[in-house]
Amino acid sequence: MPLALFAICIFFTLKEPSFIGPRNLTQLIVEFSITGTLALGMFLVLLTGQIDLSVGSGLGLIGGVAAVLIFHYNIPAYLALTIGLILAITVWTLMGLLIVKQKIPSFIITLGGLLIFKGFFWLIIQNSTIPVSRGDVENIYSKLTTYYLPHELGIILACLISALLAYLMHHSRVTRREHHLAIAGGLKSFSLWLSITLGLVGLTLIFNHFRGVPLTLLVLVCTASSVYFLTQHTVFGRSIYAIGGNTEAAVLSGINVTLITTLTYTLMGAAVALTGFMTTAYSGASTTTVGELMELDAIAACVIGGTALRGGRGTVAGVICGALVMATLLNGMTLIAVAPEVKFIARGTVLALAVWIDVRLSKK
Amino acid sequence: MVLLEARNLTKRFEGVTALRDVRFKLEQGEIHALCGENGAGKSTLIKLISGICPYGSYEGELRVNEVKVEFKSVKDAEAAGIAVITQELALIDELSIAENIFLGRLPKIGIRVDWAKLYEDAVILLDTFGLSLKPETLVSELGVGQKQLIEIIRAIDKRTAILVLDEPTAALANLEIEILLNHLRRLKKGGTSCIYISHKLDEVFNIADRITIMRDGESLETLETPKTTVTDVIRAMVGRQISDLYPKRVSKCLGKVLIKSDKLCAAEAKGEELILKNISFEVKAGEVLGIGGLMGAGRTSLLMHLFGAWGIRCSGELYLQSKQVDAASKPNDLIKRGLVLVSEDRRKYGLVIDQAIGFNLSLSSLSYFVTLGAIDLIKEYEVNQNILNSLHIKAVDLTNQVRELSGGNQQKVVIGKALMTEPHVILFDEPTRGIDVRAKLEVYELINRLTDQGKAVIIVSSELPELMGISDRIMMMHAGTLNGEYLRGDFCQEKLLAAAIGQA
Repeated sequence: MPLALFAICIFFTLKEPSFIGPRNLTQLIVEFSITGTLALGMFLVLLTGQIDLSVGSGLGLIGGVAAVLIFHYNIPAYLALTIGLILAITVWTLMGLLIVKQKIPSFIITLGGLLIFKGFFWLIIQNSTIPVSRGDVENIYSKLTTYYLPHELGIILACLISALLAYLMHHSRVTRREHHLAIAGGLKSFSLWLSITLGLVGLTLIFNHFRGVPLTLLVLVCTASSVYFLTQHTVFGRSIYAIGGNTEAAVLSGINVTLITTLTYTLMGAAVALTGFMTTAYSGASTTTVGELMELDAIAACVIGGTALRGGRGTVAGVICGALVMATLLNGMTLIAVAPEVKFIARGTVLALAVWIDVRLSKK
Repeated sequence: MVLLEARNLTKRFEGVTALRDVRFKLEQGEIHALCGENGAGKSTLIKLISGICPYGSYEGELRVNEVKVEFKSVKDAEAAGIAVITQELALIDELSIAENIFLGRLPKIGIRVDWAKLYEDAVILLDTFGLSLKPETLVSELGVGQKQLIEIIRAIDKRTAILVLDEPTAALANLEIEILLNHLRRLKKGGTSCIYISHKLDEVFNIADRITIMRDGESLETLETPKTTVTDVIRAMVGRQISDLYPKRVSKCLGKVLIKSDKLCAAEAKGEELILKNISFEVKAGEVLGIGGLMGAGRTSLLMHLFGAWGIRCSGELYLQSKQVDAASKPNDLIKRGLVLVSEDRRKYGLVIDQAIGFNLSLSSLSYFVTLGAIDLIKEYEVNQNILNSLHIKAVDLTNQVRELSGGNQQKVVIGKALMTEPHVILFDEPTRGIDVRAKLEVYELINRLTDQGKAVIIVSSELPELMGISDRIMMMHAGTLNGEYLRGDFCQEKLLAAAIGQA
């Protein structure tokens, strides 16, 4: 898959050299952060063997609610965002409960959600355009996608992350050695760490050429680290892999399937709120097209990254790569001015291709 | 004439050699049994013969009618006249018996299904098998045994030269087994050859002409059935003499009552008829209670209900260590109270088959390893490794997928998972189903160790000798009621059977 990503980048660069310019790369990373955050939420839901088709119109609705609160009701931005977040978490928890307790297929419930949320969305913004701030006053909502870290801070952060990574890798090697477990070769681990560090610093320098590291990337990094920790190091994570792998065995192993599955929807709600705020802020205002078809991008990102649609298999790293592929494709196509019709066709083809690969992998 | 021959077959799975230089000859018109413990390589050999493992994935050669064959898929093997009936059923529940038998080759008039001819043909086939079933009956209405017979009818009707049966009688009752064996004899007279795999040696001696014994991936020897004995076969399979199939149970003073059921009644769902009626029993620390009965008597429902995984409590009470258990308790609540179930169907209810051994072992005990919200992976690894060693689970390491293990080792993983929760009361549902002699013995010894540690054990088994060999006390189940109670020393197969059919 990294190869596919590389090929896509080469193709767009040849077509339009400004593709790898700092300005476009920054834009690409903002778009990637948005898709990635949503895909990470979808990842948790898919792992349990469920699906959520409602997130696209849902994130439009949540972003819209926050915008309306600020623009029409003059509520402070931080409060509006909090209300949006709580609303999303509540609605998605209820949807999860409906799916698990009433045993209604998630496909149908969330398909209904897609339409219902879209209806409410258009209703509250009254089919118009609601800016995310009043007048030209900036607030944290509008700054979400326009704030960039000071150049020095970006570099410091990159170094800190690299140092943290070095510590974690070293720590894991030491404990594994203590317990006589297989460890990867020292040179291999070092070169992996070095390439990540070089990538981080290099990327930061490129960002600094434009405006700096975008805040959205930080949101994505935090989300990804949390989801990684949740899935790999907690009982909750083990439980969702078990539920996706064999629900009946999970029940008999003493896992509270109802609670865990509902919780994945709760977290999906949080991801929807985050993505909703970022997407709306990115387009500057809440309009009827915000979030359209993003559920499909999120699902495609997960599946391209090796998450099984029937549940039980997938990794955070895979999802991040998948999201990068989707974001790069969309960004590149916009840059070289591909007609919207063709964009739809390309998106659909990628989705179908990804699912086909998933089916092939699952058979193995 | 040699119909099928395997020459020096070697097959490796990710570093594990499953078959080593296996030689095997099947003559025209013979029934040839394959015997060996689980993991001896019988199923792998079948996979090669039936094309599930394609040509090129193994070394050595297969010959049919003295000609080398290269099966790339199951279709190739079927074209060569080889039909396989496995333990897992492949019938479509929502279709009728007749449709299932003739699936893929329904008689037609133009593009329309010729229903009259379909049912007529099906009736003829069912009659020859002595089954008085209506061909339009849905398969979902049949019992497991009947389904197995339908599966066999379907395979046999493909005019096969070589029929491979992998544990065909695991789910059959005695009468059904007799019908099946008679049919195999009839097919043999017609010239069909059979490869017959079964753990039930009395069946093997009843039907097989020759027996090939496999051990640790090798074909050891082929014996003529009339010239050998059950003891010889077992000795060859195990590689040592099993003097006593059941370890000695030393009776000692029992502790206090750990689990008590008082007039328990339960139904599948609210308002439906009772499946469990007036169930009362108690089991003390250090005691093994065996529960027997015929298929459908409600034994599995009882265990699943005790564990909170089946049905609705209508009346009665359950006590664990003298404390009442809430009727709405779920498995996660009961595991915390020290009750655990090792279920009958390990693939369906026991294992997350695509995950590693370690993942499965610790699945019920994860909360023990949590520090500051995260699982202490090192601590988990150590405990998992201990269980792996103490239960002698054969695997390279904890990261092996459970799917790759043999049945006996998979069962040990399920048991290991249950024991890691440090239970007081353990419910075993058919703990030795489909596992080999040696693994069985290990399970029996383990049960003895558990009671020595002061745990209470309830075990459900269809095999009376097994129940009599390991229980301190046996209760028989009939139509949802517990029918009689027999103490060790008072065990008698006739009495137990009479109780099972409700005549005690």
